[in-house]
Amino acid sequence: MEYYLAVLTIIGMHILLGLSVYLVAITGQISFGQQGFYAIGAYLAGIGTALWGLHLLPAMLVGMLVAGAVGFLVGFPALRVKGLYLGIATFGFGELVRLTFLNVRYTKMIDGKLVGPNGAEGFRHVSYIYDHGLTQSQYLGIIYTAVALVAVCLYILERSKLGAKFRAVEEDELAAAMVGINVTAVKVFAFTLSGLVAGLGGAMFVHYSTYIDHDMVALPLAVASVTYPMLGGLGSFWGTLLAAAFLIFLTESLRFLQEFRLILYGMLIIATMTFRPRGIIDETVMLKLRGVWRRHRSPYPGM
Amino acid sequence: MAETLIDVIQQLINGLMYGAFYALIGLGFTLFFGVMKKFNLAYGPTIMVGIYLGLIPLYVWEAPIWTVFIACVAGAVAVGFVVEFACFRFLRQGHELAPLMTTIGMLILLQEAVVIVTHALPYEYPAVFGDESWELGPFLIRPDYVAMLLTGVILVVVLYVVVNRTRFGRAMRAVAENPTVARLLGVSVNRMNTLTFALTSALGGATGFFVAISLGALQPGIASWMTIKGLVVIVIGGLGSIPGAILAGLLLGVVELQALWFLGIGYRDIFAYVLLFAFLVLRPAGLLGKAAT
Repeated sequence: MEYYLAVLTIIGMHILLGLSVYLVAITGQISFGQQGFYAIGAYLAGIGTALWGLHLLPAMLVGMLVAGAVGFLVGFPALRVKGLYLGIATFGFGELVRLTFLNVRYTKMIDGKLVGPNGAEGFRHVSYIYDHGLTQSQYLGIIYTAVALVAVCLYILERSKLGAKFRAVEEDELAAAMVGINVTAVKVFAFTLSGLVAGLGGAMFVHYSTYIDHDMVALPLAVASVTYPMLGGLGSFWGTLLAAAFLIFLTESLRFLQEFRLILYGMLIIATMTFRPRGIIDETVMLKLRGVWRRHRSPYPGM
Repeated sequence: MAETLIDVIQQLINGLMYGAFYALIGLGFTLFFGVMKKFNLAYGPTIMVGIYLGLIPLYVWEAPIWTVFIACVAGAVAVGFVVEFACFRFLRQGHELAPLMTTIGMLILLQEAVVIVTHALPYEYPAVFGDESWELGPFLIRPDYVAMLLTGVILVVVLYVVVNRTRFGRAMRAVAENPTVARLLGVSVNRMNTLTFALTSALGGATGFFVAISLGALQPGIASWMTIKGLVVIVIGGLGSIPGAILAGLLLGVVELQALWFLGIGYRDIFAYVLLFAFLVLRPAGLLGKAAT
């Protein structure tokens, strides 16, 4: 039972990470650096509870807001490059964050233990959850409440004018600018939001695992975070959500295959991109779904 | 003061030689993008598997070192064909970043395959050029780095000749400029793609051989490391520019080794990425690139 709770917890975190990549991907920006915001959220929230004595929610808020602010800052230089260049640049950003935390030391002695980010040794003893007697399932409830809130926000975003602006920018920036969309504002806003979401994910992660170090936010996490929206498709945030849940569930349930799990993971990516290059739930799927819904509801067929 | 100057020059020499390796990786990426207009993130793993395959003659038949070199190149080319078949052949249309994901998938797959086959144990590459450095006045020069630089120069010259002075090269450039017109002129674009794969993989295999020799101990992780460095090089050098990739590789090598010497290993990679960002912010087209993507 505990094992399933653990898997569900990880899925929740990865959903947030995937959604953060999704947010910028629907404006046409591919970011391999969201794990950087995740790390910022994690370290700062951990510092909040473990070193500054904040409660859980304020600390997570701090982590989230700082990550969002950094997202805002990253959004501007991101405007200068596109495509794979942006992917490389954002990966570079993620690595810079990781390397910064590798070199940071900010520790205090609390109750006889050395607490705080300690360079290569990482950041241990973020034990707020366990000190305050929260059970695993209660924390899982908190995580999924947050995920649900983010999902609701995304749902509203996708149906709003802003969501249409996001997709317009992805489709054709020049045309979007000509219709009066402030492309800069849209893209920077997307990065800010994505920073907030990933920061939230990181803040929740560090309290679950009580430990964070630089190795946890390196290339494998970057690849995973981009895989979820790419496989899930950019048609709807559900794609990312389901892809994250499915992939983690797959790798966990195939533990008996041991080393071959990752080979399967790789083959799955290749197969999906070959047969459905825009992901499983891509824009055409959403159009069809909306068409069905409208036909079902409208008394006038074809409208 | 003189001590510091000697250190700076020593690291400059090392950096230029080490940078030759980065330049060659970047060259592979650039060639690839130039002709196929797509990114092959499986290039690093291709080289890595080639290097591992090169060990087969050594460990199984105790063959001389030049067979290892041939095996590296042949292995890399073979893997290149597999990558082409799995990742690119069926992706005609679709999202232009779909090959990005398929090659990432291939990267994961190849890296894991090597981990499985080698049981995650590091394998040793023979130190062909010995363990001693040559002395040139106050400077120490590593012979394996020199070999890398020399090989790099030879490969670049060979590449230049092939690309600019042969029919094959002309066809390659035609496809790079305008595939439709190239097709009209009788060039088989599919064949050119496959041959480009073979050429860049062979280049990679040759590079990989010298990398393996200077590293000494092999691990599957070098695939990701090479890929990342290669990508940084093409961004700094400018996409699609061969001389840009070479210059950028040398620059990266110098910056990294200076940072490594004076600031320690924690800061080496930081400086590489700072360099990357400096270029992206100040000069997105890279050193000699045409335009940002």
